[in-house]
Formats: sequence, C-alpha cells, structure tokens
Amino acid sequence: MEFLYSVFSFLYQFGDAFAFLVLSACGLAVIFGMMGVINLAHGEFILCGAYVSTSVTHMGVPLPLAIIAGSVAAGIAGMIVEVAVIRPLYKRPLDTIVATWGISMIVTQGTLIVLGTTMAGSGTPFGSFSIGNYSYSVYRVVLMIMALVTLAALWLMLTKTRFGILARATIQVPHVAEALGVNTNLVYSMTFGLGAALAGLAGGLYAPTMTLVPTMGSSFMVEAFVTVVVGGADIFLGTAPAAVVLGFIKATLTSWQGQLAGQIGMLIAVIIVIRILPRGISGKILKERA
Amino acid sequence: MERNLTGAISALATLLSFAGPLAAQNVEPIKLGVLEDQSGDFALATIGKVHGIELATKEINDAGGIAGRPIELVTYDTQSDNTRYQEFMRRVLQRDKVDVVFAGFSSASREAYRPIVNQFDGLAFYNNQYEGGVCDANMIVTGAVPEQQFSTLLPYMMETYGKKVYTIAADYNFGQISAEWVRNIVTENGGEMVGEEFIPLGVSQFSQTIQNIQAAKPDFVVTLLVGTAQSSYYEQAGAANVDLPMASSVNVGQGYEHKRFTPPSLKDMYATVNYVEEIDTPESKAFVEKFHAMFPDEPYINQEAENSYAAVYLFKEMVEKAGGSTELADLRATLADGELCYDAPEGKMCIDPKSQHTSHTIYLAHVKEDHSIEFPTKWDAIQPYWLGDVGCDLTQNDPSAQYTPSSLPSAD
Amino acid sequence: MSHPSRFTAFLKLVEGPQTLGKGPKFWSLFALVLLAACIYPQFADSYDVGNNVYFFNWIFMAMGLSLIWGYGGALSFGQTAFFGVAGYAYGVLTINLGDAYGLTLVSLVLAVGISALFAAILGYFLFFGRISGVFLGIVTLSVTLVLERFMAQTAGPQWAIGTARLNGFNGMGAMPSLTIPWPGGAIVLYPDVTLYYATLALLVAVYLGLRILVNSRFGNVIVAIRENPLRAEMLGYDIRKYQLITFVIGSALAGLSGVLYTSWGNYITPASMGMTAASLPIVWVAVGGRSDLTTTLIGALAVLIVFQTLTIYGSQYALVVMGALLVITVLIAPRGIVIALSDLWPARKSKMKGEL
Repeated sequence: MEFLYSVFSFLYQFGDAFAFLVLSACGLAVIFGMMGVINLAHGEFILCGAYVSTSVTHMGVPLPLAIIAGSVAAGIAGMIVEVAVIRPLYKRPLDTIVATWGISMIVTQGTLIVLGTTMAGSGTPFGSFSIGNYSYSVYRVVLMIMALVTLAALWLMLTKTRFGILARATIQVPHVAEALGVNTNLVYSMTFGLGAALAGLAGGLYAPTMTLVPTMGSSFMVEAFVTVVVGGADIFLGTAPAAVVLGFIKATLTSWQGQLAGQIGMLIAVIIVIRILPRGISGKILKERA
Repeated sequence: MERNLTGAISALATLLSFAGPLAAQNVEPIKLGVLEDQSGDFALATIGKVHGIELATKEINDAGGIAGRPIELVTYDTQSDNTRYQEFMRRVLQRDKVDVVFAGFSSASREAYRPIVNQFDGLAFYNNQYEGGVCDANMIVTGAVPEQQFSTLLPYMMETYGKKVYTIAADYNFGQISAEWVRNIVTENGGEMVGEEFIPLGVSQFSQTIQNIQAAKPDFVVTLLVGTAQSSYYEQAGAANVDLPMASSVNVGQGYEHKRFTPPSLKDMYATVNYVEEIDTPESKAFVEKFHAMFPDEPYINQEAENSYAAVYLFKEMVEKAGGSTELADLRATLADGELCYDAPEGKMCIDPKSQHTSHTIYLAHVKEDHSIEFPTKWDAIQPYWLGDVGCDLTQNDPSAQYTPSSLPSAD
Repeated sequence: MSHPSRFTAFLKLVEGPQTLGKGPKFWSLFALVLLAACIYPQFADSYDVGNNVYFFNWIFMAMGLSLIWGYGGALSFGQTAFFGVAGYAYGVLTINLGDAYGLTLVSLVLAVGISALFAAILGYFLFFGRISGVFLGIVTLSVTLVLERFMAQTAGPQWAIGTARLNGFNGMGAMPSLTIPWPGGAIVLYPDVTLYYATLALLVAVYLGLRILVNSRFGNVIVAIRENPLRAEMLGYDIRKYQLITFVIGSALAGLSGVLYTSWGNYITPASMGMTAASLPIVWVAVGGRSDLTTTLIGALAVLIVFQTLTIYGSQYALVVMGALLVITVLIAPRGIVIALSDLWPARKSKMKGEL
C-alpha cells in the first residue's frame, strides 16, 4: 500500500509539472510555431487572463465562466496587438523580440499604475482529498485535466475546422493561400489571437492559486520558453512530448534534490536536447517521417 | 496617487507661506535622498515606505522642520534593479549632495549601493528588516534583525505547538541566514529540525514542497518566503489542506499576505513584527489615521513603512542633538550614549551605538481563521544584540562588512 | 595629416564596405567628437564624468553583440553570461591577489581571458552542433539563467574561492578598483576623470579595432555567412570556425564590460545575468541599428542615457515610456534610429544612400 501511495504521489507531482508546462507554453507555441514570432509579452497575456477572470469572479460570476472571460479578453488584446504592432514586422521576426519586450514593459508598469500593486485573489475552489499520509488539492487535478482538454481542443481546432486548415495553409505557403482567396491578414490575426487567448486561459486557470501582481507573468516565462524550444515548431508533435519529458525531469529532480535542482536540471535538459535535436522534438519526428 | 501628492504639496506650500517662523526666508533645506523600488517586483512592499517618509516629512516641515530647516526630499524610483541603486546613489551623493539617504528594500540592493556610500563617506538609512550582520559606520539600520524576531518567536511556537520544526526559505542570503538562525535557536531550545527546504527566487509552484512537509510531519512550519511569486505557497498549501501552524519573520509584516489571500489559507500564521497596521494602541491608531488621511488608497501600512516613517524622526533627533550639524562624525557622536530614541507608533525605538541597528517593540501577530489579527503577546525593547556580541563595535573601528553566524569577524 | 600616405593606409584599414562612414568628412567629424569627449571632463562635474564612465562600460558588450548578431547573424541572448563570468572572475582574482604591482590589470586580462575561454567551449558546442536562429538565442539564454540561479544560492561560507566569498544573491563586493602602478603612488581608477580617460581610450581602441576586423577578409566572410551560410560553405569556408571566432571575440567584449562594471561599482551580482539584464543588450543594439558598429555605439549610448533620464524625471511612468519608445522605434525605424534620423537630414541622405 505504501508503495502505491508513493506512486500516486509521484504521478500527482508529474501531472502538476506537466499541466503547468503545457498550459504556460501552449499560447507561446501557437504564436512561435505557426508564425515564427517570439512573443516576449506572453507573460502579459497571462496577466491579462488572470486579472480579468479574477475581477469577473469578484463580481459573482462562476469560476468557469470567469476563466473563459479572461481567455477571451486576452484573445482580443492579442488581436489588437497583432494589427498594431506585429503585422508590420512579419518580414523581420527578430525585431518582434524588441517590440514585444516593449509591450511587456508598458503592460506590467501600466497595470501597476492603474490597478495598484496587487489584486485580492479569489481563493482555490474544490477543497482537498487525502490518499495515505498526503492530502492533495482537487483543483490541481482539475488543472491537469484542463491541460489535456486544451491539447485535445487545439488539435480538433487545427485539424477539423475551416479556420485550422486555412491557418495551416497560410502559414506553410502564404502566397499560394492568398492567391486562392484566403484573407491571410485575418488568419494571422486570428492565430495570434488564439495564442494570446491560450495564454489568457493559463492565467485564468492559475489565478486562483497564485499571487496576483503585475509581474506575475514572468514566473511562467522560463518554463514556457523551455517547453516550446525543446518541442520545436509543431504544437502536438512538440509541445506535448516536451512537456512530458520536462515534467518528468522536473518532478524527479525536485522530489530527489529540491527545487533548485528541478529548475537547473530543466534548463540543462534544454541545452542537451537542443544539442542532439537542433530543431526540437517535432523537428526530429517530422524529419524521420518525411 | 499623483493627485494626492500634489494636493499634499500644495497644502504644504500654503501652510509654509502663511504660518510658521520656519517659513522664514532663505533657510537652506536639509536634503533627504529616497531610493526605493516604486516599480518592479518589490513595489508591493516598498511604495508604502516612500509614503511613510513623505508623511513624516510633511509633519516635521509643518512643525518647523529640523533645527529650523525644512526637509527637501530627492526621490528616485529604483525599479527593483540593483544597477539603478548604483547609478542613483552616486547621483544623490555627488550631484544632489543630500545630507542623508534612505535606501533599499532587498539586501542585494543594499550591498550594491554600500560601496558607493562608503566611498563618498555618506550616511544611509536602511529601513528594512533583513538577515542582519551589516557592521558599517556609514549605515544605520532601522529594520528588525533575526535575533529580535527569532529569539522571541521560536520559543513561543515550540512551547505552544511542539518541538518538531520544518523550514522553507527563499534560496538566497536572507533565507539561508535566517534558516541558520532558526536551526540554532530550535536546537538550543531542545527542538528538532525535521526538514529544511530552500526555494529559488521566482518559483511559484509548490506541490512537491507541500508533499515533503506532509511527509515530515512537523509541529509547525517556519516560512521565510520572499517575493510575490513565492507567496503563492500559502494559497497552494491551503488548497491542499496542509493545516499546520506557521511562523515567520518576514511574511505578514512585510507583504501583508493575510490581506491578499482568501481566508483561511494563512490560518494560524504567527509572525514577529515590529509593526503592522492592526496594532491597536492609541499611538498606532493615530498613525494609521494620519497615514490614510494623506494616502487614502494605501492598501496596507506594513512594518517597513513604519520603520521609514520613524527613521525620518530618528534622523531629526540626531541632527538636533548635534546642534544642527549634518556632518557624519557629529551625527554619529549623538549615538554614543545609546539614548538616541524616538517614540514611534510601535513604541520606543533606540539606536545602538555599537552596531547602529535599532531596538524594537516586537509584537507576535497571530492570523486567525478569518485573517483578522490578534496579538497574543509582545516584547518591549528587544535589542539588536548579536553584532555587538560577536565583536562589531563601530565606536572603535569600521570594518564595513556583513557578518553571519557562520562567517564571524576575525579575532583581531 | 602631415603624413598623407600613412593616413591613407590607416583609412584603408578602418574603412570598407562593412562600415558606415568614410572619407575625410567622416573622420574629421570623428576627430571632433573625440576631441569634445576629451575636453568634456573640464566642463562637467565629477558626477557626470563618473556617470559617463558607467555608460561607456556597457558599450563594449553592445559592440560585441553587434559583431555576433549584426555582422555574424547569430542572435545570442546570453551575452550577460560572459559579462557575469568575467565580473566574478575579476572579483575573485583581485580579492585574492590584491591591488598592488598592477595585479588588478593582470586580473582584468585574466578575467576577460576566462570569459573568452568559456565562450570558446560553449561556442564549440553550439556552432559545431549547427544550432542556429532562435534556438541559438534560447540556448544562450538558458546558459545565463542557469548561471544566475546557481550564483544566487551561493550565500553560504562554503562557496568561497580563496578568500573571496561568492555571497549569493546579495552579490560580491569589496573587490579593489582597477589600479595603475605609478612611481610615487598607485593611481586608483575610481569613477572619475582618470577612469574616464582610460575607458574612453579603451573604447576608441576597441571601436577602431572592430572596424579593422569587419573590413578585413575575415569580416567579409562572416557577413557572407550571415547573408547565405550555404553559399559561404560551398565556397569552401568552414563557417563553423568563423562563427566560433566571432562569438569568442564578441563574448570577450561582454567580459570586458563585466570587468569594467565590477571595478566601477566594486560590486557584481547574479542579477547581472538575469532575464532583464540579458534582454537589455539586445534592446540597445536593435534600437541603434545592429548591422553597423557606429550606429550600435551611438544607439546604445542614446538608449542608456534616455532610459536613465526617464527614470530620473519620469517617476513611475518611466517604464511605460521606455516600452513605448521601443515599440515605436522598431515600427518606424527598421534599421535603427541612427540611420532613420540621418535619413531625415536631407543633405546627408544622398550621401548615406551612396554609401550603402
């Protein structure tokens, strides 16, 4: 029995790390993988989702609706940013680093000025359950399920819907798509908006468990970048397996040697993976398939 | 915020022009430099410090200034960035030629500016609780230090809840040195450390830590968490139903976690603080009222805001005792008899001449299930004794160094 | 000017297709600016002089990144790793060796050497592993973040090299400033006039040296690699070797910045290798115009000065204005503000066009 308890506890830790990596990275993966844009304002879309969903919760709206509201708000903000700032920069992807860094500075400090240094949290719902000697938060299991649901929904959206097919076509061969009558500008906007909405979703989901401050987005950034880079450009063939691998490394090292080892181990894993697979996990898979 | 400030300044201007012998023309103001993080990761705990300084300055100027001279504030936002402290410490000392500087939240920022203060032989007040040990004639520390907070807190906790202790601490100087203090005091009092865990700064996810704590079965947990990301621990531990009493020297009194998180995640947190706004003495109530009159939107008045407020008065005391001089040697001479004191909102504070740290009234703040605070006990006039005990004596020599329990001054 | 042939020989070295600015007009302007910089301390107070040294300290890192990214086409997001390694190396060396007999200068050379060696090892791994593009940026960023996290937890007394405590997140202090041994008393280079001239001289030397480098055959090859790595390889160049050398030189310059910064403030901290610190060089270089040494130099100085001024006068709005400036700059000045501004100046316009 003791053994089963430990197995469950490890699975819980792994699932927790996996969920955090998937949810923080999805939005970034869509924007980077499909558009080649490095979005340093990713954390600020997470911030937007978290703040909007928490404010809406404070008004009495149930949490699931509030999270959707946060995600939609971030998505709309993302489309505005795409039109105003990102669109002129498609020919110079590296310049988007500077532009999105600028946006990140404006949003973080703007939030501080307008909304103050902190916002009251909404509290984690659902309580806890016990297995063996340990008690666990139910909400964190919900987060793990949401990570899987998000991946499944994204897959359906990109493979089964008209938007998904147009988006992939536009990204692969933009001029042909355009010649075939696709409004490529709209597709780019929608894709960027989708990425931002996913970031907002992560923010909304994690908001009840975290401190709400203007700089909160930054605590997602390292994990998000690491996952996307290890994964490579393809969301399903890359991000999901990368989150599995990194989640496993992080959970193992953290439980064995503590938090610092978990953090440093993950960063070293990145360096090693990239050395072996210069185009990430998905690059390797796609190459072998081709 | 901006509007209030303007209002306050114009009110001040009106006051000055109407009344007061002070308004007497052509008095050279006393310049007080303020370097605090008003943006970035530390802003949450430090904006109140700037407001505390502004409040004290307004009161002092209304009442005639320091030795007849008004205080002029020279304030820069250091953006939670060490390099900004280096840039602006040089600026206030060399360009603005201030008489004194109030600077710094994180210990790293203090260490960044300290060489510059030493080089120009200036005077800096560090108005923040920290890991202790700075023995430097150019520095005066008004915040609480570990011997003041842990020698009171831990024996109380061990008596009340039991002797098995688990520490989680931020993985840097403050956390590591504080954890060392906890370890020493717990073992001295016959207790046992059942676990100790260090969390890198910026980490916001705590599932594994929560599980480790549950496995070790302590009687209470000492939380020495720093920064906004790490404070997410409370919400996550609450959600996982850890339900253990907690003790801290840094949480509640600095980052007002009990106001930011939904009850009951901080239930049974005990913190030793030298001030929090809930203290219900008449002095404290009057202070809170004055503070809110000037800054109605202030989310919370933490101990660092009170330290900063009191520091202005302590400085005033020093200058007046020195007969109006702002020379470093004259100011330090006023500390010699240990009677340089101020009746702060918390109670009496005095500067110790050997270490140039400050004695405090230490309150034990207990966070209840609904996150209201009660004070089971308080300790009067707790001295910052440790530096003096290990051989720091600034009246004799000035090593300008920082000591820790495992890195003591050499014997010479 | 008395030796026109020597002057022409000099021009031949420092001018070429890879750098903006040529001919007597440009070099007269250069001399004028240099002269102004030289007499400047006579008119400024010591705060301004020391503050300018602080700005100069960072320019080496910016020019190094211009070489790696602007000329070589490899975006390194982790130049701060070399900055930090050299800064800490200088601290450890000088605390142990002391400041007599010019040992601080020896430490400077050693510290820059250590960062160059580190860059060589990392660069070998990167370029011979054929890592490129965004991935190169992320690996270098990961390296600097690992170093930051690691150094942040070295507060305990067990983390010491000789008598030098690494001292964790609080940072290492109490290292001596650069000191020149001099008959009749060593000259300590505090942030003041002497250090100003020393740093200025170093800056001019590095600037001219880099101009010579990028206009040499080597420079042409690295630009060819940036434009089309495959073609360069087909022409028989081992592009990995060229990229590696570029990376080492650029990183050594970041190391030089690290040493100068550490000596300037007698302080170095893990935060100098953090995420914010790592992105700043990219901002300086991108705003000025990364593909040219001169625009990088002017742009980086401008950004440093503007950001500091904003922080002094802009109170809490400073960061918002900085962010807005970055976005606007990228949108309306794709090749950096320096070229954009000179385009606004019609007389110069035709000339610049002719040069490009």
